Amino acid sequence: MYSDFLRDYLIVVFFGILAFAVVGAFIGLASLVRPDRPSEAKNTAYESGVDPVDGGWSQSQIRYYIFALLFVMFDVEAVFIFPWATRLEEYGMFGLVEMTIFIFILALGLGYAWRKGVLRWV
Amino acid sequence: MLLNQFLLLAAVLFAIGVYGVLTRKNGVLVLMSIELILNSVNINLVAFGTFNADVSGQVFALFIIAVAAAEVGVGLAIVLLIYRNRRSIDVSEADMLKG
Amino acid sequence: MLIAQEFVRPIIDWHGVAPELTLLAIGAMVTLVDIIWNEKAQRIIPTLTGLGFLAALLPVLTLWSDRDELPRVMWDGAYVVDEYSLVLKGLFLVSAYVVVLLATNYMHDGDYYEGEFYQLVSASVVGMLVMTSARDLISIFVAIELISIPAYLMAAWRKRDLKSNEAGLKYMLMGVFASALMLYGMSLLYGFAGDTRLAAIAPALRSSESIPLITLAVVFVVVGFGFKVSAVPFHTWAPDTYEGAPTPLTAFLAVASKAAGFVALMSVVIVAFPEQSGVAEPLLWVLAAVTMTVGNLIAMRQTNIVRMLAYSGIAQAGYMIAPLAVFGDVPSSAARAIVIYLVIYAAMNLGAFAVVITAARKTRSGEISSYGGLFQYAPGLAVLMTLFLFSLAGIPPFGGWYAKYQVFLVLVEPATTAGYVLAAIGAVNAVLAAFYYLSIMKQMWFMPEPNGDHTRVQITPSLQAALAITAIVTLVTGVLPGVIPDVGDLVVALP
Repeated sequence: MYSDFLRDYLIVVFFGILAFAVVGAFIGLASLVRPDRPSEAKNTAYESGVDPVDGGWSQSQIRYYIFALLFVMFDVEAVFIFPWATRLEEYGMFGLVEMTIFIFILALGLGYAWRKGVLRWV
Repeated sequence: MLLNQFLLLAAVLFAIGVYGVLTRKNGVLVLMSIELILNSVNINLVAFGTFNADVSGQVFALFIIAVAAAEVGVGLAIVLLIYRNRRSIDVSEADMLKG
Repeated sequence: MLIAQEFVRPIIDWHGVAPELTLLAIGAMVTLVDIIWNEKAQRIIPTLTGLGFLAALLPVLTLWSDRDELPRVMWDGAYVVDEYSLVLKGLFLVSAYVVVLLATNYMHDGDYYEGEFYQLVSASVVGMLVMTSARDLISIFVAIELISIPAYLMAAWRKRDLKSNEAGLKYMLMGVFASALMLYGMSLLYGFAGDTRLAAIAPALRSSESIPLITLAVVFVVVGFGFKVSAVPFHTWAPDTYEGAPTPLTAFLAVASKAAGFVALMSVVIVAFPEQSGVAEPLLWVLAAVTMTVGNLIAMRQTNIVRMLAYSGIAQAGYMIAPLAVFGDVPSSAARAIVIYLVIYAAMNLGAFAVVITAARKTRSGEISSYGGLFQYAPGLAVLMTLFLFSLAGIPPFGGWYAKYQVFLVLVEPATTAGYVLAAIGAVNAVLAAFYYLSIMKQMWFMPEPNGDHTRVQITPSLQAALAITAIVTLVTGVLPGVIPDVGDLVVALP
């Protein structure tokens, strides 16, 4: 059993080696024939011909993060709604009431965020 | 049924996650490492659940996904709070209180 | 492969889940009040939450009076209401009520968010109520997270204070890491048993052949809970978090949150691991011995009273783990001793925190030296603090004595060397602990007030109520220990 298991992985290893070898060979061949004259201008970021300003790293506005957090919360809670939705008819009234309570509690959270002014774009 | 592969993958992810928690100084990266551990748990659960033909493993994984989102939400909020007051999220700099 | 099963509507015993539902409804109502009236509602929210805890206590009492119906088993044995869980539900609701009393003035006087604090406390207490009845890995996990996540936020409640931020960060990172470790152990347990119910896991651990992985799973689960109950060597977050967090929340963490960790540890160890007691017992033995010794040794060197109480709480946790070190031979008396210890510990520790919060209204300091002269300007407070400290030290006739006595009884019951040695370590530690409790008493009774300021301490009505409740429970449990209801066996029920 273990030898089968290892043999499966041997294929993966060969495949990996092959991939590296092929890519390495192509790049190596290309570097033999291409001209090599590095300069400062060639290393700058390409921005449609305009000279780039500042560095490549920029910080996002901190006010995005509350929206991101709220989105993640409510998005992930949907994970409980999908299994219910696939067998909606079978769960019938019982499932509907359960899901209404669940969504009511989620809505309380959203209402709270709205009331405390978190949803306003400042 | 191929169970071992999944368990090995989970074990490797778990080990990487624990390594990250113990060595990283950046609060956000520590949270990401913990996320890795949680995902290794999910892989374990789903693999075992399928292996045993039992659905509770998948249910458990769903709950872990939802709770992990809440944990990360709270965690990021606290890390951002510290960043606002201190301009740094280096965990090792949080040393005003000495255990 | 997985086959879609016919959906059978679960039969829900509404009376059995009434405490949880009541508290959930009241928590939702408090949030609604906050949404509708916003700023105007901030004054009534503490009262509303406190009443909510008392309202949720009513179904607990009716369930208790209807004891013949127990145990009520729901969801195929995943959720059990038995005597054990009812006693603990009562404990959590009363402790949470005392915490609300402690927080009322503290939160109002400081520049904090008020309404949210109480909403988070009630969310956390819902988790605790669920925890007492949970006999299933999934519900234990969800309950423990429902308890912890609001607590992470509350620890960082003083937003502008770097210490509080740090308290929240440390608590959150350690707590999340601990639950991740615990979950890995749980996933292995589920793999062995093919079932998440604790009662179904126990027989699977007996029949299985592959021992090393089971050992790994047991160790991971115990270590994960070790973080939650702040057992040494997983305690490093506790003193920092306790010092940085708002003091009422510290009382909540040190009592209710820790007790919830113990409930989880007890349920899992006693119900699911009886066949693996050979693995779990030595581990818990070492945890108990190290926790009480290290906790006491570090507590002696503290100058801040909250940190000292934190370390003393760690030492007390050692006593609470101790009965689990012999649980294989005497599972029911171990559970009984821990529940008794939890009830008494909650009363005396909340009482000590109530005195600390009251005194800090005048001294504005947490240093032990600031307690000098307390007897001259606030004799009542000094007497109460003495009562709580005597009880914490385990001096009769106060509650702490009976709690420790029960633990020692359980340790010697199986008549094993391990039990005797642990009891001896516990006895030595009780003597060690007396030293630092006595040093506070020396400050209060014999030292002069450092600034010569002898104005009286103003004790607000809610603090008076909190002090009264905790003092009465501490006294009564010590003098008449029979009042603590017998918790019986943990019900292991599978349909």
